[in-house]
Amino acid sequence: MTKPILDVSRVSKSFGGLRALQDVNLQVMEGSIHSLIGPNGAGKSTLLNVMTGLLQPDEGTITFDGRTLQNVTPHEINQYGIAKVFQTPAIFPEMTLLENTLIPAFARRDGSFRANLFETPEHAHEVYEQAEEALAEVGLQDHMKQEARYLSRGDKRRLELAICLVQKPKLLLLDEPTAGMARHETESTIQLLKQISSKGMTKVIVEHDMSVVFSLSDRITVLAQGQIIAEGGPDEVRGNPKVIEAYLGEEQE
Amino acid sequence: MPVIVFAVIALTMPFWFPLVGGYAGLDTKILIWAIFAIGFDILLGFTGYLSFGHAAFFGVSAYVTGLMLLHYSANIIPAMIASVIVTTIIAVMVGFLTLRRSGIYFSILTLAFGEMFYAAALSIFSDWTGGDNGLTGLPTPELFSMPFKENNVFYLVAVLAIIGYYIARRIGNSPFGMMLRAVKSNQTRLEFTGLDVKKYKLSAFVISAIYASVAGSLMVIYEPYVATEFVHWSTSGKLVIMSVLGGVGTLFGPMIGAAFMLYFENVISAFLQEQWLLVLGLVFMFIVIFLPGGFVEGAQRLKRAIAGKAGDGNASKGASE
Ligand SMILES: Nc1ncnc2c1ncn2[C@@H]1O[C@H](COP(=O)(O)OP(=O)(O)OP(=O)(O)O)[C@@H](O)[C@H]1O
Ligand SMILES: [Mg+2]
Repeated sequence: MTKPILDVSRVSKSFGGLRALQDVNLQVMEGSIHSLIGPNGAGKSTLLNVMTGLLQPDEGTITFDGRTLQNVTPHEINQYGIAKVFQTPAIFPEMTLLENTLIPAFARRDGSFRANLFETPEHAHEVYEQAEEALAEVGLQDHMKQEARYLSRGDKRRLELAICLVQKPKLLLLDEPTAGMARHETESTIQLLKQISSKGMTKVIVEHDMSVVFSLSDRITVLAQGQIIAEGGPDEVRGNPKVIEAYLGEEQE
Repeated sequence: MPVIVFAVIALTMPFWFPLVGGYAGLDTKILIWAIFAIGFDILLGFTGYLSFGHAAFFGVSAYVTGLMLLHYSANIIPAMIASVIVTTIIAVMVGFLTLRRSGIYFSILTLAFGEMFYAAALSIFSDWTGGDNGLTGLPTPELFSMPFKENNVFYLVAVLAIIGYYIARRIGNSPFGMMLRAVKSNQTRLEFTGLDVKKYKLSAFVISAIYASVAGSLMVIYEPYVATEFVHWSTSGKLVIMSVLGGVGTLFGPMIGAAFMLYFENVISAFLQEQWLLVLGLVFMFIVIFLPGGFVEGAQRLKRAIAGKAGDGNASKGASE
């Protein structure tokens, strides 16, 4: 019943002499939660950066929803329907929570640029509703007029998720969404991710926390030194000796 | 509301300004600089891009106005229109090139461009610009064959300043203005939220250059002469200083900064004689160190302090941006 929404085909990327990605093939099925795991420096973030257009691959192609992402800028890729949650929360710190979600709401209505110099935003009721809804969805509706920089790290992550949710992306990329969080924050973030997953949005998650990975994922891809060494459902990957050697073995926590 | 307050202050200037020692015409000059400063705040205050090259737009526009008055017609309307068109075209090109960099690199690039225009005006274009002497011998500007000077100029400038302030406030409150402030806050996030950051930055740059061109053109209508100083980097520097003194990003602040700077330079300097620049430097240092939000922040703090004493000590009004 499912088809791949994202197709990474034979992608390689080097930084100087360092081969960060070597001949990577990856298919992400529509509606699934797909995890990327692997030891530090494996190339996980690089792979996400290639998907968002931040980096151009040296070789290979990426197709998203029927379109090739070659020489396409990050904002265009975002408008195609790929949103990203960064490793350190990327929000608009000096702006209010509401403004933080109004920006993507306007981006969704107006596209990548509109010279609406004289529009009064208060009259854009639909846009306001979307922005407020997204804040409510992540549980931040009570502090809409507050500046985002005063939020805790966990709440910044929630806000960033809200920014992404406003856009109703087809594919959401998350780079270590629970990194640097306290235990209770990690749990509430996972709860939140599960909640939004029920809406059929496709997700690719990079994560170090194995309990998170195994509890969330439909499919897991394991990277090591820029190459894919294993792929499968949680149970297959858990028992794979190559994975244990390359990843689980060396980093027992 | 603030627009009405400003309109009243500006339009009544000829009546109250002489009472505080301002000479006739200085009020016009203050409002011209106020226009320059409001536009600059759309770039610096909203997007955070600090240009040291806006004298180029002010100066080029002044030269175009001067040349139009001299060679085409003494009528101010075609002169102003031509100035704005030429400046806009130049701003699109300069902005396109300089906005590829940010932070200090952008500032230095704009400074370099500004100096190029200055050098060009004094060398390859000196047959047109009058070189070191500036552009002299301009006719008295006219509007529909009537001489246009003194009070007429003042009211034209005042009306344009009010319109300019109104437009800037509208931009500040629009979704477009929100995107500009987002550029300052987090460009990467903005790009990854699907917005064409380059176009927003270029728009802000060009809008600020249009304000600069209106100001430059009015300067020549006010006093039919183009000084080489108009394209010199010191003019850009003066603009930056008045913005910082008044309060970057507040729109109203830079206008106050402009008024303060010109009043200081022309009125207070008479009391301080040669030391006036030194005193101005001290004032600037004091502001940057103790009141980084400029006069506007000072006023807000004062208001809070007074409200705190008078009220129940619970005066946390929350400073607006
Ligand atoms: N912009 C860059 N320039 C040079 N080298 C880079 C760059 N980005 C990543 N690398 C290198 O490429 C390799 C892969 O990095 P990447 O960030 O993709 O790893 P990762 O799997 O995300 O690791 P981590 O778990 O630590 O986040 C690393 O060796 C890294 O040092
Ligand atoms: Mg990483």
